[in-house]
Amino acid sequence: MKIRIRWIRWSFLLLALAVLAGLALFKLINEQPRLIPAFLVEQVRQPDLLEYPEARRCADCHQEIFEAWKKSRHSLAWVSESYIKNSENRSKEKCLACHVPKEVVPGVKPDPRLQQRDDGIYCVPCHVRNGAMNGPYDLFSPPHPTRKNADYRSSKFCSTCHQKTFKEWSDTGSRQTCQSCHMKRRGGRLTQKFPLNWMHVKREVADHSFPKGDLVTDSLYVQGSFTDAAFMVRLVNTTVPHRVPTADNGDPRLFVQVTFMDEKGGELDGDREILSPQQDTALIYQKPVDLQFFPPTQTQSARIVLRYQPAWGKERSDVVSLTVQR
Amino acid sequence: MARYYSFFMVLAVSLFAFPGTLPAKDMVLKKPPASLDKLYPPQSKEPQFIQQMHKMSGSFGGVFVNMKEGDWENAEKKAQAFVEAYEETSKMVPEWKDYFDLKAVKEFAAAVPSRDPAKIGKASGPVGKTCGKCHGEQTVAVWTRYHWPKVDQIKMVDPVTDKELTYGKFMHEISGTFKGVTVNFGEGQYDRSSKALRDFKKRYMELKSTCSKCHTNDAVKEFFVGQPIAEAFDNLARELTAAKPNPGNFWKNVGTIGKLGCKQCHLTHRSYAIIQETWEEE
Repeated sequence: MKIRIRWIRWSFLLLALAVLAGLALFKLINEQPRLIPAFLVEQVRQPDLLEYPEARRCADCHQEIFEAWKKSRHSLAWVSESYIKNSENRSKEKCLACHVPKEVVPGVKPDPRLQQRDDGIYCVPCHVRNGAMNGPYDLFSPPHPTRKNADYRSSKFCSTCHQKTFKEWSDTGSRQTCQSCHMKRRGGRLTQKFPLNWMHVKREVADHSFPKGDLVTDSLYVQGSFTDAAFMVRLVNTTVPHRVPTADNGDPRLFVQVTFMDEKGGELDGDREILSPQQDTALIYQKPVDLQFFPPTQTQSARIVLRYQPAWGKERSDVVSLTVQR
Repeated sequence: MARYYSFFMVLAVSLFAFPGTLPAKDMVLKKPPASLDKLYPPQSKEPQFIQQMHKMSGSFGGVFVNMKEGDWENAEKKAQAFVEAYEETSKMVPEWKDYFDLKAVKEFAAAVPSRDPAKIGKASGPVGKTCGKCHGEQTVAVWTRYHWPKVDQIKMVDPVTDKELTYGKFMHEISGTFKGVTVNFGEGQYDRSSKALRDFKKRYMELKSTCSKCHTNDAVKEFFVGQPIAEAFDNLARELTAAKPNPGNFWKNVGTIGKLGCKQCHLTHRSYAIIQETWEEE
């Protein structure tokens, strides 16, 4: 009996010590990581992480970020059907810098890389700089050195490749950054690998799926009106602080389709205009655009439909639809 | 001095006055050999052959740069690098092996340690001739096949009909609507001309997207489809809705589009496209 009580006491003591050690380690890692002896850290470093491993290697620890990135267009930058077709089977040199960048330094056109091209725009070119994994946090990570870098919350980082969109955004004077719309943050852990995931405090983790931001009815102001001989459509990009649509080299489009109808609702004629960055017709933030159409004389109403087509596909989705009576 | 001047003047006048008396040199553009395909994208990840050309050019030229600077140690290194690069190149395209003269290259490299510029210059002559012969016969063909983008692979969606067309067919559509504008105007059918103009403008402006498939620099678009063209379209639209359209203004703006847009682009691109199309038909 005595032995059993002693065993329980020792167990409690060991458990308490383990919890205390865990808390101390947690505090050390999150608050005073520089107190950890360098020679110990060197034992667990994995230098290959800084030498263009494939993206899947990063998923060993950062599973959630990896899964989000897999859903992004960045992950398809080298392998998407539209890229292969438009780059003439990847033979256009002008595309390489941004489709397979070697190192993303804000505002500097990257060199193309030869390694891991299938991963397109991935973890290493964006986060590895000067021998460390750069990011928005100052934290301790045993497998690789880390460095806090304010660039990761700045639109200038994205301007490295999205130069035209960056300029459009700069011209609006908006306080929203690229990241605030296309890399929204939510509470979470940077790593999912046990026990590392429990060794770090929860932080705001950015969405690495880089959603493009869907156009909805309220994104744009659309109005139609008949004059004596014409039908005018007024469009205003009231909410998006860059042109709509926007792209540096891609060719996304917004189709403004107008259908004229007689008094019974029968279709008489139709016409459309294309709003596209490559044709310099994309909607500038808060600048009204008036499009003129010519209805047949017996027209009684006009239906306006706005359809969006992304740069990488031919599918079109309706954004706005409204009918105007004469 | 005056005698020399008179001589050259007579020679120049003779050349212009009697061009038929001088033997004309024909240039034959042959499709480059298939083995070269392996050395350029998409078969190769990188344009290996042009990179090899730079390697040869850098080492051959490097000999003379160093010779001029009196840096004989580096001149000899460059000469050796040139021999290696030249030999490598001679094996890259078997069909072109006869362009290369390995003996001449070795004699050139052997002349460099003499540090005698006259001797080196003399030894470089036969080597330079091999370069010149191949470049003279093949450069235009290689640039046309591997460096000029192939428009036949460009597909476009016609903004008027929403149908996907090849670039060639799209050009026919543009040409057709342009003629619709001018022919109807000539017949006094201003409403039809006006409608054709709207379609023509949509198709023409679609070319901005086409330019951007290859050109990342907006200056290129501005050159072919820029402000003067946009103004010409606006002027034409205004003229066609006027109570009495002015033919002078109309044709002046048609000319602007034709000369600044169509002709400039065709002069730049059409010849190469025709050569590529011819080779594709073989």
